[in-house]
Amino acid sequence: MIGDYKPFVEEAVIREIEILAKRLKGIKVLHVNSTREGGGVAEILHRLVLLMNEVGVKTDWKVIKGDKKFFTFTKKLHNLLHMPGRFEIDSEEVVYYLKITYENFERIDTENYDVVIIHDPQPMGLIAKKVKGQKWIWRCHVDTSTPDPAAWKFIETFINAYDACIFHMPEFVYEKIKIPTFTIRPSIDPLHPKNVDLSPEEIKKIVSVFGVDPEKPIILQVSRFDRLKDPFGVMRAYRMVKKKYASQLVLLGGFAPDDPEGEEVFRELKEQAEGDKDIFLLNLPPDSHREVNAFQRAATVVVQKSLREGFGLVVSEAMWKGKPVVGSNVGGIKRQVVHGVTGYLVNTVEGAAWRIRQLLANAELRESMGNHAIERVRHRFLIIRHLRDYLLLISKLISSAPIL
Amino acid sequence: MAKVFKFKTELWIPVYTGIKVHTLKDFIETLRTIEIESIFYHVCINMFNYHNMPVYYPNSFSYWLYKNNFLILAEKISSIDPIELSDLEEIRKRIVLILEENYPGESGQRLIPFYFVKAEREIIDCGFVARNMEEFIKGIKESSINSLFYHLVSSKIQKKAPVNDYSAWLLSIGETTKANLISQLDIYNYTLYEIKDKIIRILEG
Repeated sequence: MIGDYKPFVEEAVIREIEILAKRLKGIKVLHVNSTREGGGVAEILHRLVLLMNEVGVKTDWKVIKGDKKFFTFTKKLHNLLHMPGRFEIDSEEVVYYLKITYENFERIDTENYDVVIIHDPQPMGLIAKKVKGQKWIWRCHVDTSTPDPAAWKFIETFINAYDACIFHMPEFVYEKIKIPTFTIRPSIDPLHPKNVDLSPEEIKKIVSVFGVDPEKPIILQVSRFDRLKDPFGVMRAYRMVKKKYASQLVLLGGFAPDDPEGEEVFRELKEQAEGDKDIFLLNLPPDSHREVNAFQRAATVVVQKSLREGFGLVVSEAMWKGKPVVGSNVGGIKRQVVHGVTGYLVNTVEGAAWRIRQLLANAELRESMGNHAIERVRHRFLIIRHLRDYLLLISKLISSAPIL
Repeated sequence: MAKVFKFKTELWIPVYTGIKVHTLKDFIETLRTIEIESIFYHVCINMFNYHNMPVYYPNSFSYWLYKNNFLILAEKISSIDPIELSDLEEIRKRIVLILEENYPGESGQRLIPFYFVKAEREIIDCGFVARNMEEFIKGIKESSINSLFYHLVSSKIQKKAPVNDYSAWLLSIGETTKANLISQLDIYNYTLYEIKDKIIRILEG
């Protein structure tokens, strides 16, 4: 299967991975997270675990089990790590977390692995099972730069027992971490239905189904219907652009039936869009991968105007399709978009409108930025690089030399 | 008989040192004492990472200064060439000296932070060697751009060598002109793919 990636990266890169993997022969690796379906972590693990096994590193993936009460607490913890002050943690919740963690001790065998990689806070307490000679890594997918003190205190109970931790970028790291802190970017899979090549006919057919004119410029944002993604700002920017350029705006996303805020945002957007037949609000089911793919490929300019963002891999998805991205200067967006080279970083609605206009006006600029965008993703944000980073980190950790 | 050229490559994982600074004064102070691996990382990361596209400035120190509107300092620091200087301690001294000599004072404004990072590096044998020009050209054609980076940049810096590995091997077999042409390549201003093509053209010419 690793051979399937040869069209996307140099053959020498695959060879280097194979050399690295040979060093890890006989090593057993375990990934643990909280869900097998849904979300970026599960999506990456599905392919990463297969690839690790394919290159000869025996790798398993297990999922922690918990009930609603457990996951309500861990969701709260996640939010508190991301942004302080909205909730409090009480001791009853902590005790319940420990109880569920203890129940998972029986279910999840960690002893038979040389390296255990724990994703996010939910399974973090499994570290209590660590035995001599093992290396445990905490892979944090959350921005913890300004955590709620109580939430961080909870994390601190466990984190320093790990051998290393991984964050997406230094900006996400809380300054009080004492263990070696690696930064590994997340990645996209070029073989995922979201990213595979589509024929021009299929692209046209898909966007036309939704009433979008494939021949007229399309400004696209793909994101949940969430205020933090600033769809209202995108709509304002589009209105400024539309004074000069006939174009269409597609806001493509979704909201779960149990997400009242998403529904409210969608309704408000609908009200604001009323009367403009060139605005398309598409609320699609989460498995609409080919549709998202087609819209990204059909887009003239892709926008990601989040007010706050984790990593925002949707930016890399668009870049991989050769699209210049106008993105907010926040979170992981600023690590993906190289301002003036693969797109533009903006701080305001006005800035977004101006940059969209610049791109709509200049097909050559779009093409050149799009080509740079593809190359940037090829080197920095494909799963092959992610695989290599994990193999290298494991190799470093199990070698006798201390990391720091 | 020609010396055997062993093709190697280099992989990095960034490690955050845990040090971030918000003022120019702290930036200079940290540069004086930060691990030398962090200096190496920041002067080379653009070559290593952005080997496929143009960059505003050749190193992350300059880029940070530019983003914080210290345009004179950004330009001056961008003139530091690790390939020319080789000695990392010398590079550190030069950077600090330039910053001290041109220090504009503190504006009191909190700057966009600079995060000091270093790389955990791994040097890997590619598994092939060259004993003659034909094998050398074939080896370079089969090398990744990480391998090019290793032989052109980091090996030279680590060994504090006067020339890069390719040129050193060419000199050892008497190919002085080709060695010099490769030494003169402006690695900062071409992508490593372009550099690879140029090297192959020089060798086949």
